[in-house]
Amino acid sequence: MKKLLTVLLFFSLGLIVFAELTVPRNETLIVNQLTGRVGTPGNFNLWVGWKWSDRGLQNLLLEPLWCVEYATGEIINALAAEPPIYNKDFTQLTIKLRKGVYWSDGVPFTADDVVYMIELSKNTAGFAYNSQMQEVKEVKKIDDYTVQIELVKPNSRFHTYFLDRWGGFRPLPKHVFEKVSDPLTFEFNPPVGTGPYVLHSYDTGGYWTVWQRRDDWQRTPTGILYGMPQPKYVAVMTYGGPDKQVLAMAQHQLDAADLTMEALRAVLMRVSTTRAWRKDYPWTVNIDPCVTGVTLNNMVEPYNNKDVRWALALAIDIVEYAGNAFDGAVTISPIHIPLTKSYMDTYFTRIEDWLKNFEIDIGDGQKFKPYDPNAGQRLAEYAKKRGYPVPKDPNEIKYIFGPGWWKYAPDVAEKLLIKNGFKRDPRTRGWLLPNGEPWKITVYCTNTNPAHPAYRNAFAVAQEWRKFGIDVDVVVFDTPTVVQQGNYEVSSDWPAAEPWGGHPDLYRVLDPFNSAYMVAIGENAAWGNYSRWTNPKMDKIIESLRLTDWNDTENIVKLGLEGLKLLIEEMPTIPTFNYPGVVAWDEYYWTNYPGAENMYSQPYHHWPNLKYMLPFLKPTGRK
Amino acid sequence: MNFVKRYLLPRLIIYFLVIFIGITTVFIIPRLLPTDPVLQTITRLRAQGAYMDPESTQRTIETLQELFGLKGSLSDQYVKFWQRLFKGDFGPSFFQFPTPVMTLIKQSLPWTAALLLTTTLVSWLLGNILGGFAGYFSSRRWGKILDYFAMVIRPMPYYILALGLLILFAYVFPIFPLGGGYTIGMRLTWSWNTFLTLLRHAFLPALSLLLIGIFVWFQAMKLVVQSVKTDDFVKYAEIGGIKSNKIARKYVIKNAMLPQITGLALSLGQIFSGALITEMVFSYPGLGTLLYNSIFTGDYNLLMGITAISILVVTTSILVIDLLYPLFDPRVRYK
Repeated sequence: MKKLLTVLLFFSLGLIVFAELTVPRNETLIVNQLTGRVGTPGNFNLWVGWKWSDRGLQNLLLEPLWCVEYATGEIINALAAEPPIYNKDFTQLTIKLRKGVYWSDGVPFTADDVVYMIELSKNTAGFAYNSQMQEVKEVKKIDDYTVQIELVKPNSRFHTYFLDRWGGFRPLPKHVFEKVSDPLTFEFNPPVGTGPYVLHSYDTGGYWTVWQRRDDWQRTPTGILYGMPQPKYVAVMTYGGPDKQVLAMAQHQLDAADLTMEALRAVLMRVSTTRAWRKDYPWTVNIDPCVTGVTLNNMVEPYNNKDVRWALALAIDIVEYAGNAFDGAVTISPIHIPLTKSYMDTYFTRIEDWLKNFEIDIGDGQKFKPYDPNAGQRLAEYAKKRGYPVPKDPNEIKYIFGPGWWKYAPDVAEKLLIKNGFKRDPRTRGWLLPNGEPWKITVYCTNTNPAHPAYRNAFAVAQEWRKFGIDVDVVVFDTPTVVQQGNYEVSSDWPAAEPWGGHPDLYRVLDPFNSAYMVAIGENAAWGNYSRWTNPKMDKIIESLRLTDWNDTENIVKLGLEGLKLLIEEMPTIPTFNYPGVVAWDEYYWTNYPGAENMYSQPYHHWPNLKYMLPFLKPTGRK
Repeated sequence: MNFVKRYLLPRLIIYFLVIFIGITTVFIIPRLLPTDPVLQTITRLRAQGAYMDPESTQRTIETLQELFGLKGSLSDQYVKFWQRLFKGDFGPSFFQFPTPVMTLIKQSLPWTAALLLTTTLVSWLLGNILGGFAGYFSSRRWGKILDYFAMVIRPMPYYILALGLLILFAYVFPIFPLGGGYTIGMRLTWSWNTFLTLLRHAFLPALSLLLIGIFVWFQAMKLVVQSVKTDDFVKYAEIGGIKSNKIARKYVIKNAMLPQITGLALSLGQIFSGALITEMVFSYPGLGTLLYNSIFTGDYNLLMGITAISILVVTTSILVIDLLYPLFDPRVRYK
């Protein structure tokens, strides 16, 4: 047996020489492809249908006009030279373009490209942003680096269609597309881009794509803004599930992985050169611009009653909840936006005093202050008891575990329910609806991945409400349509639409609550408002936001705060914690990845910002 | 003439009827799913960062319904479906619009066909030979050892076996790659090196399928052989002094092969559904993930394309085996 093992080991060591890569490993960054195997490997036309844009199309090949950077809270002017310029009534948008940018085939990028892409999209059904571009009355070139767009009706956020936020309408090369007879079936192979990398090779089976740094990387926005991307090659590989990624990382065949908490712990324990976003517990990325939680269907009884919604929020012990969901490795958020560093600074610090003084009416003339400013501290205590290292500085704790949340007050929740005719079954102590029937909740989870926050939220909330005396079931399935069409009571879909992430504007969060979009059950609700809640006050806030320029930060924040306060008062959905992203990096070949201690860039390799991170990486020199 | 009337014609009628019913079912079932391909596509577009207000969303829904051919009554869609089918066209994939379904199938089919055709045939052949002899010579030591192996491997969940092989031969002893059809960054050419690379990447997926496949056939064959060897004609042969090797080959295994041949026909047809777990564990290209994604995303056309081809191949294989049966079984011929 020993002999056999020795022979196998010897044989395998010999074979390691045949690296699983034809380009030099020490010059290559290998990242996992989040969206999995590419179904159309030879087709790079991402302006038509789904094209697995994180295979390198959005993160290496192409540049947008603007890009969200949620680590710093800024908007990067990429192909655009400056922020958008609107006229007074928001019917005209002027875009100034960056000079000195060239397509990868040597043709200069100019206003002609932007004018052409808008006209092509507007006139081609099935092309990306075709429906949105119907808002364009006319688009014209003022000079080689200025584009002017006349709109059919005022839209102060029209430019956000061109804002890259894991997608956006990115400029395409006019000189390539204008020669094509059918832009829908055109495969755009080999692709031509304004980003710092060009296609090197791809797997016809769809598992990997290799990109090579452009010789003229200086003529790309990435090169102009940040310098030379360090890896000469980037390989985007679909390794499969977290187990496979851990194996690949252990062999230093993968530099950036998308993992589950369990897989992350395994890789950190087994591979000494790996690290996560935060070097110590809780490891997870807490600057992801999404807030997770629980969505209640406000068109269905008893969730159309504000008191019931508040009772359900107060029946949650957020520390226990976060412990059950993610072993406490989350940043809790009591408001309907994620508490990334930038939103914490822009919004939370401005709303905190209001939260502390906020009261709800619990009947019999009694008021109750539901905000618990120490919830984040309590979560840190929980982590400490679990044996994890926790900082002592309360401010640091606030940024890691969150500031506060709603009090765990089952007694107050009980009062709110009794006030509305609910009763406890004298025999079982379970809750009865006002009509005397047992209160049974089915929590719908439309994500079947057990590592996903929607999944974890569903089971965590079920646990809390069961403890409170409600009969709760969780149903997990793959069909978001059921929730979108309102055929549910409670779901673990996002409690509100994601904000831009890199700008204080909350239009993206608040606009879906516009009453103009409200539809009956059975029809598709607006994304971001599956709770089907509206309020005339919210309509006014949205209307005011529409009349506020994107660059008018002071008024944007003021209106955003008003919107957030209204959402808290009404609690149509219950936000719980920031999306906890789980990424791991191997520092065997490359180092200086962004991290909680060095937040120069957002952390995800599948986001378009990967190209802006690459100039900061440092090779370790290992062969 | 009698053969055509009594044997061929009824089978041909059943053949076409099964295809018609199967393909009609394939048309109907996806439409009963709660998954709406248009909404799934819009969800994907949103995932690509497209911000749409409800007005834009409605416009997009209408455009996509038009482009996907989902406008019009169900009967109109059904008629168009058959018209396209006769031309060998399943229309565009919804999820990977506007790529034709046939293009997607053609991309994945060679990988699946090469892997599954080889492993199905090899495992059928080895499993039946080993099972046949182990069944007849059941008291021999090698037969018992094979039986123990079968008892360990056969009930093992395929995922565990595949992952175990991967950990052992790609991680502990990194002889084979962790995944993919060929080396990252390599360009496929007609060369010896390409062939070796393809072989090396296919080795572990093939081994996992072979191990399970061989022992499935082994156990089935062994049971049939053990039943056949107690038949009177075998007893007569033994009493007649015919050598046991000859009895095993000519009398027992030959008769026991009949149900195995039908099994092979079914297995060959199932190739067109791919091997989902194999593809996932070994990151190996093929039809399995294509089919899985088509269900997941409500891509009716792609789902119909893959299953319709599968139905055609399964029914045709059964028809061919049915027509060839008289060659294997004289009793059918004499009827």
